[in-house]
Amino acid sequence: MKERILIYMSILGGVAVIFIALPIINVFASVGIDGIIEAMKDKNAINAIIVSFEAAFFATLLSLIFGVPLAYILARKDFPGKSLIESIIDLPVIIPHTVAGIALLMIFGSNGLIGAPLEEFGVKIVDSMLGITIAMMFVSMPFLINYAREGFEAVDPRLEYIAMSLGATKTKAIFSITLPLSIRSIFVGSLMTWARAISEFGAVVVIAYFPLTAPSYIYSQYLQYGLKKSAPIAAFLLFICIVIFISLRIASTRWKRYDKD
Amino acid sequence: MQKLIIFSTIGAILLITCFFVLNQNKEELIIFHAGSLTKPFDDLEKEFEKRNNIDVKREIAGSIATIRKITELGKKADIIASADYTLIEDMMYPEYANFCIKFAKNKIVIAYTNKSAYKDEINEKNWYEILKRDGIRFGFSNPNDDPCGYRSLMVIQLAEIYYKNDKIFDELIEKNSGIKSMERNGKFIIEVPPTAELNINTDKIAMRSAEIDLMATLETGDIDYLFIYRSVAYQHRYSGVYFIELPEEIDLSNPSFVDVYSKVVVNFSTGKIIEAKPIVYGITIPLNAQNKDDAINFLILLLNETGQKIFEENGQIPIVPAICDNIENLPIQLRKYVVEK
Repeated sequence: MKERILIYMSILGGVAVIFIALPIINVFASVGIDGIIEAMKDKNAINAIIVSFEAAFFATLLSLIFGVPLAYILARKDFPGKSLIESIIDLPVIIPHTVAGIALLMIFGSNGLIGAPLEEFGVKIVDSMLGITIAMMFVSMPFLINYAREGFEAVDPRLEYIAMSLGATKTKAIFSITLPLSIRSIFVGSLMTWARAISEFGAVVVIAYFPLTAPSYIYSQYLQYGLKKSAPIAAFLLFICIVIFISLRIASTRWKRYDKD
Repeated sequence: MQKLIIFSTIGAILLITCFFVLNQNKEELIIFHAGSLTKPFDDLEKEFEKRNNIDVKREIAGSIATIRKITELGKKADIIASADYTLIEDMMYPEYANFCIKFAKNKIVIAYTNKSAYKDEINEKNWYEILKRDGIRFGFSNPNDDPCGYRSLMVIQLAEIYYKNDKIFDELIEKNSGIKSMERNGKFIIEVPPTAELNINTDKIAMRSAEIDLMATLETGDIDYLFIYRSVAYQHRYSGVYFIELPEEIDLSNPSFVDVYSKVVVNFSTGKIIEAKPIVYGITIPLNAQNKDDAINFLILLLNETGQKIFEENGQIPIVPAICDNIENLPIQLRKYVVEK
C-alpha cells in the first residue's frame, strides 16, 4: 500500500469535481431537454448568444495579437519594472467587474481619453459591439498572457540558440521552434480567454447594454419572467460552451507531442 | 503513516476553521432594497448599528430584481424595500408578504452635468425640445426591469397632455425605440416590447437595467440628460450633477394629481399592466424573515423622526404618518407609526 496517498488524493479531488459539476448538472436536470429545445427556438436568445460568441472571438483575437508578444518578452527577458508589469496584467482579474466597466467607460466613453478622439472619426464604443469586445478583452486578456508566458517559459531558450547557431534568424527561431513548442499553451490560453469573455456580465453592461449579450439577455429574461424562462437559456448557453470546450480540448491534445516532456 | 496522520489532522483543522469562519452566526439583519434607496439606507444602517449590536447587511438591486430574489431564488431577507409599493402587492402577496407600508415619495426629474449640451438653455418648459435636438443623448432605465424606467415613459407621455403637444412621445421615444403609444378612450397606452425587441437607437437613447447604472454614463458625459428620481440626483449634487424639476402634473409626485396621472397606462409583454400613479415607496417584512424582531426595530427607526430626517436630508419626502394596507398583519409595535388605508 505504498500508494495509499493516491487514494486520499482521489477522494479529495472527487469532492472538487462534484463541487463544480453538481450545480451545472442540476441546471440541466431542472431545465430538461424540453427546456433546452424551447430555448433553441427563441430567436432572441440565439441572437444574444451570437453577439456573445462574436465579441468574445474578437476579444480573443485582439488579445492574441497584443498578448502573445508581451508574453514572449516576459518569459525571456529580465528588465527593470518587470514585476510591476506582471502585476498590472493581473489587475483585471482582481478588480470588481462593475468598477472595471466604469474605468473603461471613463477612457472609452465619448468624453474619454481614447473615446473622444475616436468619436470624431465616427467610431462609437458605448452601446456597440466594439464596447462589448473592449470590456471582454479587458477582463480576459490576463488569461492569455499568463498561459502563453508559461508556455514560452517551458521551452528551453537553448533550443532557439541552437537554431540560431545553425543559421536561423531570431524571428525564424521563434516561429519555427518556440511557437510550435508552446502552441498548446497559447491555444488553451485562448480558449480560457474566450470562455472568460463569454461569461463577463458586470463590465459589459456598464459600457454596452445593447446589443444584448447572452448574459444580459438571460438576466433580462430573469427580471421579466423569472427563472422559468431564464434557466433554459442559461442551460442552452452552457450546453454550447461545454460542447465547444470539450471538442477543442480534445483537438488540442494532438499537440501534446510538441510539449517539452 | 505518521506523516499521513499529521497531514489529515492539519487538513481537517483547516476545513473546520473554514467552516466556522464562513459560518459565524453574529446576529444580522438582512435588507434587500431598491437602488434608489441606497444613500438613505446607508445612513439608516449607521444609525441602527450605533444603537444595536447587530450587523446590517444590505443587498442593492433594481426593485424587481430585489423582489425576485425572494420569490424566485428562495433567498431570505428580513426587510424588502421597493421603489414601487405595488410591486410588493403584485409579486409578493400572499405567499411572501402580507402587509406593505408606504413610507416615502419621490419624483422624476431630468438630471444633467456641466458636460451636457444646451445645459444653459434647458428648463421645465423646453426640455422636450432640447432632448429632441440632434446629437443629444438621453437615458432612462429599462422599463421591463425597473420602475424608474416605466415611470420615465409615463412622464414623457404625460408631457404630451400637459404641454398640449402630441408629438413629444413620438419624437423622443417611439422614433428611437420599439416602444409605442396609442390613445384609446381618453387613455394613453404605452406598449413596451420585451427587452430583446426594444430596438433602441443608441445614438439617441442610453438604456441600462437600473437607473443607478446610468448615473456613471451621465457623469462621464456619455449622455447629456437622464430621467431619474429627484432624491438620487440630489444625492449626486456634490459630484456635479444638476437637475431640472418638472411640473407636478407630470412628475408623478403629487397624490392630488392622481386622476391626471392615471390617464397613462403601460402594457408589458408579460401581460402586466401598470397605471401611472404617484411615486410611493413600499417596505415589508417578508413572511419567511429570520430576524423579525430586529426588522421591526429597523422599521421603527425608519418611520420615526430619525428616519424622516434622513430621508429629507437625502432629498426624498417621507410620508408622515406612513400608510399601511393590511394593518391587522402589521406587527403591533409598528401600528402607532402608521395609519390604515
